[in-house]
Amino acid sequence: MVKKNDYISKQKFIDELYRYKRGSVTRRHFLNVTGLGAATAVLGTAVPGLRSRPAFAAGDIGDRVILATWPNYHDPDNFDAFTEATGAAVQVNVFGSNEEMLAKLQAGGSGWDVYVPTNYTITTYVAEGLIEPLDTARLPNYDASAYDPRFSDAGSVDGTLYAVPKNWGTTGFAVNTSKTGGRAMKSWKDFWDITKEDFSGRTMVHDYQLTTIGNALKYFGYSFNSIDEKELAEAEKLLIDAKPHLFAISSDYQPSMRNGDAWMTMCWTGDGKQLNVDIPEIDYVLGVEGGELWSDYYAIPKGAPHTDAAYALINFLLNPEINAKEVLAHGYPSADAHTNKLLPETLLNDPILYPAQELLSALEFGAAATLTDPNRAELMARFKSA
Amino acid sequence: MKLYAVFVYLFLYIPVGVIALFSFNAGRHASQLQGFSPKWYGKALSNPFVMDALETSLIVAFVSAFLASLFGTMAAVALQGIKGPLRKTFDLLIYVAVMIPGIVIGIATLIGLVTVFDLLNPLLAALWPDGATPPSLHMGMGSLIAAHAMFLMALVIIIVRARLAGMDRSLTEASSDLYATPFGTFRQVTLPLIFPAVLAGFLLCFTFSFDDFIIAFFVAGSETTLPIYVFSSIRRGVTPEINAIGTMVLAVSLVTLAMAQILLRRGGRTPK
Amino acid sequence: MTHGTRNLLLLAPAGTWFLVMLLLPLTVVLIFSFGERGTSGGYAPAFVLDQYANLPARWTAFKNTLTLAPIGTLASLVIAYPLAYYLAVKVDPKWKTTLLVLVIVPFWTSILIRSYAWIFLLGGRGLPALLDWVGIEDVRLINTPFSVLVGIIYGYLPLMVFPIFVSLDRLDKRLLEASSDLGAKPWRTFLQVTLPLSVPGVATGCMLVFILLMGEFLIPALLGGGKVFFVGNALVDLFLQSRNWAYGSAVAVALVVVMLITVTIYMRFINRLGVNREDVSMV
Repeated sequence: MVKKNDYISKQKFIDELYRYKRGSVTRRHFLNVTGLGAATAVLGTAVPGLRSRPAFAAGDIGDRVILATWPNYHDPDNFDAFTEATGAAVQVNVFGSNEEMLAKLQAGGSGWDVYVPTNYTITTYVAEGLIEPLDTARLPNYDASAYDPRFSDAGSVDGTLYAVPKNWGTTGFAVNTSKTGGRAMKSWKDFWDITKEDFSGRTMVHDYQLTTIGNALKYFGYSFNSIDEKELAEAEKLLIDAKPHLFAISSDYQPSMRNGDAWMTMCWTGDGKQLNVDIPEIDYVLGVEGGELWSDYYAIPKGAPHTDAAYALINFLLNPEINAKEVLAHGYPSADAHTNKLLPETLLNDPILYPAQELLSALEFGAAATLTDPNRAELMARFKSA
Repeated sequence: MKLYAVFVYLFLYIPVGVIALFSFNAGRHASQLQGFSPKWYGKALSNPFVMDALETSLIVAFVSAFLASLFGTMAAVALQGIKGPLRKTFDLLIYVAVMIPGIVIGIATLIGLVTVFDLLNPLLAALWPDGATPPSLHMGMGSLIAAHAMFLMALVIIIVRARLAGMDRSLTEASSDLYATPFGTFRQVTLPLIFPAVLAGFLLCFTFSFDDFIIAFFVAGSETTLPIYVFSSIRRGVTPEINAIGTMVLAVSLVTLAMAQILLRRGGRTPK
Repeated sequence: MTHGTRNLLLLAPAGTWFLVMLLLPLTVVLIFSFGERGTSGGYAPAFVLDQYANLPARWTAFKNTLTLAPIGTLASLVIAYPLAYYLAVKVDPKWKTTLLVLVIVPFWTSILIRSYAWIFLLGGRGLPALLDWVGIEDVRLINTPFSVLVGIIYGYLPLMVFPIFVSLDRLDKRLLEASSDLGAKPWRTFLQVTLPLSVPGVATGCMLVFILLMGEFLIPALLGGGKVFFVGNALVDLFLQSRNWAYGSAVAVALVVVMLITVTIYMRFINRLGVNREDVSMV
């Protein structure tokens, strides 16, 4: 399999991947050029356990399943394949922040069957009774031992499994290096400093308190998760000083980065990769001070209307063959060894997906208290209305 | 003057033109033209979720406009013959319903109904016979229709009452002098007179409901209306599919509007 | 069946509807506004005035709304009036309906999609690129109060044109002729005859636009880049992000109170101009 992939250079592979993602080549073309088609076909037949195994006979699970997830986070072809295999159509609802998902679930009657919470939210969902424990017997494709525990242990709370890992990623920033005048951008200090100078009116920050406040705290070298009043006050001052120099406060930054209105933005791994491939002068940077490392999970909310379909969909997406296609589509790294075996070496060595060890070890996981801290929420509101 | 009008029409139509232009974009990104293709229309029409959202929007708009027109007209007719505190109460309610911003209606309905449902659901479960699954009340199409119908009802009452106020009272009096039953008077005299207003009210309600985003955003529960779908897609990154949907909605609206125009013109010929 | 019972029966459905869908939710909002935020969001029962005491924290949002709503209303009026006048008085009656319909047509596409078109037009590849081409460099329009204002005018123009058109259209053209026959200059005719007669339409249009603007959330969110913050945006954030239902309820109550006050003052003012209230509330 690795040999097959040697026929194609890393750059070529990534080019093909994004051509495929943009829809300018078909899946068949993509799989042929990259050699992935042969690899998955061989593996699929050789290892029966890796074959897509519908947990339920088609038709049994109802005709629909509703998934609440994040932007640009799936391969639409996989949903078509799921519908074909089970008869259930997948409705995808896209959200902008974990706070928003939590708000929707707290208000009741979300109607979701599957959702994608981030590591630090799961204990809150458990405490609030908003999440269903998972029955692993109904997820035959889930092999707990195959996952890197760093990115899978937040799925269990007090020994009960509530969520299974989707993929992980980092929060850094994307910067258009053609505009920096040769200045090297390496840290969150660089990020905030240049915003107030040469990049005035060109920087975007997330509309999400966790990352925006967290990365402002990093300027002073404080913890990303700080809820210390004095430290938050310093971060607030930085944010309010920077506000007149911001282009926008929005988590939908790709369009503005692409058309040149914005030159720099807080950014998640996959978006950084996508921008970098289409516009090579846009770099994805992890601040040397650190920042956020996170992991997303699949879970079933309490009161999900189509539980059978929910299990079937999660199981389907955990299938390494399907998951590999997901990774190729969204460009975030998976923690599943079975999936990674199916991925080309070039992708597994990509510096955006897999940052250097010293950058990675400076990162922190978000904490539950960071998400629910009322002071941080109010700080964000003051920043936005300032 | 004429030049000014041309300028305003340009202001109104350039964005619409941009929407229509990009709906024929062959590329995936909504802000870069890459050749001409009608493919996004096919994509939109064959996307089951666009069709589902459209269906939900049409059902919600039709049912809420119908309920609002029916109950609103009934109330408007009754309010003509009423004075005193009941009349004052209704005037106040209508005033409040029209004046409260949609966002407050959305929020209030959400937390109000969620609170009531939380109280009622255990009660229902307790009262329900053993063995059967008790119904569980939740936000959805029902709550959305109810919320739309509420403020649209106020709108219909205002419109129909304006028409009734302009109506010659001697007509209904003459009718009852001629020993027509009250219902006969209503059917033969009042209804034909207010019909254009009721119809205009219905169409206005339909439009409001169909285009509403903010109330639906809060009270639709798991239902997706077309504006909610568009909002969610904008977040996913706009593809020309959204522009195609917009252009189609515009085209259908134009046809509806033309129809309404014809109907109203016919209605306008009834004696005043 | 007596008259009274019949009327009561006719009123019952609408009455019940208002009770369940208007009074009950508003009562819950009022009760919640005296409560507290739950530990991880939502609402916790209490009877405190903390939420109201904390209202000044959203002062900027109220200030923005109370500045941009009247400015937006006035700007719409200034742009709409000449057009309505043109349509009602100047234009060939043959074209009147068509031209009028053309004013509403854009209103029938979703406000979301229309605002998105403006994001493109005011963004770097749109108008600023055009200005750059003629030599005016580095103009930034998107994500400013200006772009929000453009969105507001665009979104609400038809609502302003219509009532003004209706009131001007009702005006007897012979009055204008009589005025000019009596030797009045055109601007005098306008000031003394046309303008006073169009006041009800202006009043209705302004009120409609003003009410909608006070609760606006989408246009500032889409065209203001999250930097132009209205009370509507504050409410959406409080309910859909920070999940502070108690405080959100207090902000909602405050918004309704501010609206009641401004609209009542406005009505008084209009009444003094000699327009009766029924006319104004007639949509």
